[in-house]
Amino acid sequence: MIRHSWRRLTNQNRIPFALVLLAVVLLVNFMLQPNLLEPATMNSSMRIFLPLILVAVGQTIVILAGGIDISAGAIVSITNAILATQIGTRGDTGTAMLMMLAVLFVGMAAGAVNGFFVAILRLQPIITTYATSFLFGGLALLILPSPGGGMPSTFTSFYRETRPLGIPLAFFIIALIMLAWYGIRQTRYGRYLFAVGGNADAAYQTGVPVNMVQFSTYMISGLMAAFGGIAITLLTGSGNAQIGDSLTLAAITAVVIGGTALSGGSGTIAGAIIGAIILSLLPNLISFANIETWWQTFLNAAIIVIALALPGFMNLLRRRRT
Amino acid sequence: MTISLSARNVAKRYGAVTALSDANLDIRSGEVLALIGANGSGKSTLSKIINGVVVLDGGQLLVDDRPVHFQSPHAAKSLGISTVFQELSLVPQMTVAENIFLTREPLRGGLVDRGAVRQKTEQLLALFAGMFKTDLTPDTPVGPLPPDEKQIIEILKAVSFNPRLLILDEATASLDSRQVQRLFELVVRWKEEGKAIVFVSHRMEEIFQIADRYTVLRNGATVGEGPMQGVTTRDLVGMMVAGVTAENVVHRARPTAEELAARKVTLDVKDLRAEAVHGVSFQLHEGELLGLGGLRGQGQHQLLLALFGDIRHSGNITIDVTPVHFTHPRQAMENRLALVPGERAKEGLLLIRSILENFLIPSWRRYGFPLRIGKARQEATNVSMSLNLKMAGLDAPVSSLSGGNAQKVVIGKWLLRNPRILMLDDPTKGIDVGAKAEFYKLLAQLCGEGKSVLLYSSDDEELIGLSDRVLVMHDGSIRTELIGESLTKSNLVAASLGATQEALP
Repeated sequence: MIRHSWRRLTNQNRIPFALVLLAVVLLVNFMLQPNLLEPATMNSSMRIFLPLILVAVGQTIVILAGGIDISAGAIVSITNAILATQIGTRGDTGTAMLMMLAVLFVGMAAGAVNGFFVAILRLQPIITTYATSFLFGGLALLILPSPGGGMPSTFTSFYRETRPLGIPLAFFIIALIMLAWYGIRQTRYGRYLFAVGGNADAAYQTGVPVNMVQFSTYMISGLMAAFGGIAITLLTGSGNAQIGDSLTLAAITAVVIGGTALSGGSGTIAGAIIGAIILSLLPNLISFANIETWWQTFLNAAIIVIALALPGFMNLLRRRRT
Repeated sequence: MTISLSARNVAKRYGAVTALSDANLDIRSGEVLALIGANGSGKSTLSKIINGVVVLDGGQLLVDDRPVHFQSPHAAKSLGISTVFQELSLVPQMTVAENIFLTREPLRGGLVDRGAVRQKTEQLLALFAGMFKTDLTPDTPVGPLPPDEKQIIEILKAVSFNPRLLILDEATASLDSRQVQRLFELVVRWKEEGKAIVFVSHRMEEIFQIADRYTVLRNGATVGEGPMQGVTTRDLVGMMVAGVTAENVVHRARPTAEELAARKVTLDVKDLRAEAVHGVSFQLHEGELLGLGGLRGQGQHQLLLALFGDIRHSGNITIDVTPVHFTHPRQAMENRLALVPGERAKEGLLLIRSILENFLIPSWRRYGFPLRIGKARQEATNVSMSLNLKMAGLDAPVSSLSGGNAQKVVIGKWLLRNPRILMLDDPTKGIDVGAKAEFYKLLAQLCGEGKSVLLYSSDDEELIGLSDRVLVMHDGSIRTELIGESLTKSNLVAASLGATQEALP
């Protein structure tokens, strides 16, 4: 019985694995930084984590449907560059709102470019989106050649300090995403996502509009990256055309830690969110552990590699035993 | 719910290969049409044109006497044409219910009505009640299910459309005889309801049992059609294989029990246990063709895998006089065992690689470093000639071959290693009559050379016609041994259903 539940934990149901990992990371972090769970600390942490969470959610949708989006980080950079240059620290509220709405369309348009290449021209997703990432990154540099620009402080402090009911804003956004995802899973579109990722040929023969589903996932990823770009701009209050670069691979790692299969067809949004939080807590943990600076990157990476490899090792042990 | 469908002079080319040149077919409500032809004759292509998966290059499709032009499977479905695909159209990660109702989920307020999906799925599953070996519920994921149950779900999925025209493309190939009978009862019922059914199969007895009319394809063209009444297997096979008469079973002199006992034992298995195999013991003699029979999924597949060291097992296995315990197929190969898997595409071949490479995969070691490609090519050529392989050349991809020829490559790659014990896991599944006949001759020839063959087949005729002896498996153990006089079809069927040795006449 114990063995059975162990097997489920390690094999069939991979969110619990991410949850266990989250608990461990939180516990260690809590011991090193006792004020971790105080509302103020939590709020400041979560608003830093939010951009990665948003990008990871978009990435999950693409990966579920059997694709991958390497350009998500570059889309974050584009939206950041647009917001920082078009609004500026002295921008008025009306322009700012308009611009934030506009970048959402920019994100979707960028996603549509990816979708066109991958779903309509049927190019390899990994290569295509790697190539378009330079396209989008290059555009971001054109718009904002050197770091600068910014957001009015009313916006950044709103992002920094809003805590409805004393709960960090990020939690409300996560709740909203989870709710929307739950809704999507109840629709035909939700089923199509899993069907296309699980077996695209079978889905096509059954009459699923495979191309349109794939196309749409890149648009969703672009949209979520744009949201991530808005969040990161509100967080930093400034512009940097390379700000999104590190988010792409971090988001994919978060999706994998969250138990979503890179081959598509199975996975969860909740897992990706947990994965993103784990990844974001690691640098925190390492810096509080008073580790010398030159060890930090190495340790951070080592923990990520172990987290990724652990389910594989568990599977190996299980295979040996039976 | 009436329908009539006609295909007129349909043509389809894939690059330089002509799949169909002049295919014609007519079907109406309330009849079962058998679409027959050798592998590579274009049956599957024609089915796929009728259901919109493949777009035709020439000719015309008429539905209810009106020309139609399907650009997608969806277009065909909206006219009530539904298909049971040979290579199943199921998504392994999704559940039974999700698979069956994919694209047609009942909605309530725009959301999928899970209760209704489950209920409707249960109604459909009830059509095959008692035919499942696993506890199948609507919420079971499809991926780990055995092939026959996947096939049934594929059938139910096609039926759930309530189609006017149903295409069954080799739908019986992975079903056992009970499941086939149930399907046929349902087909009769659907026929009475006014559905039209296109039945694609290689099994002649099934065609004669269920079909009202036939259409024969040869090399992409329709070469004959008419009512089943009055035609014989010989007539149909004659149309399928022009100029060649059916000599599909090799008649060999069967050794008696005494003669067998006098021969050298090459493989001695005692109390073999593995997943789904519960204590199997038998002996395989030199030059013997030993059949494994029984219903599908009674442990035959796992028995062969265990002998080949592919899955964990316990028990005593002796080859000649040496006790062995293989934990990896490589060890079995070093002892000159070979296993020809049943699922060619998945387990036996690298489809996009060349025929040459597929032949040589298990044997590269023999050709040294650096590889002596010339010698390897020469030996592959010899094998392909001895197998009478029909191909564009050794460098053509395996995916360009028809099913029968692809299976020859799987066997050929093992023959290159000159095995002493050849194990075959349902090797003729989905192969046409002509290729089967050649295949039977090959097996007989190998036995004549003193090789031992262990053959599992889901085709009862084949087991009876080929084997010196048949072990019937039931629920993971050997229930009955059929040899000499007792080796008859009725005994095999009775034993398959669980009758013990004593109960047989």
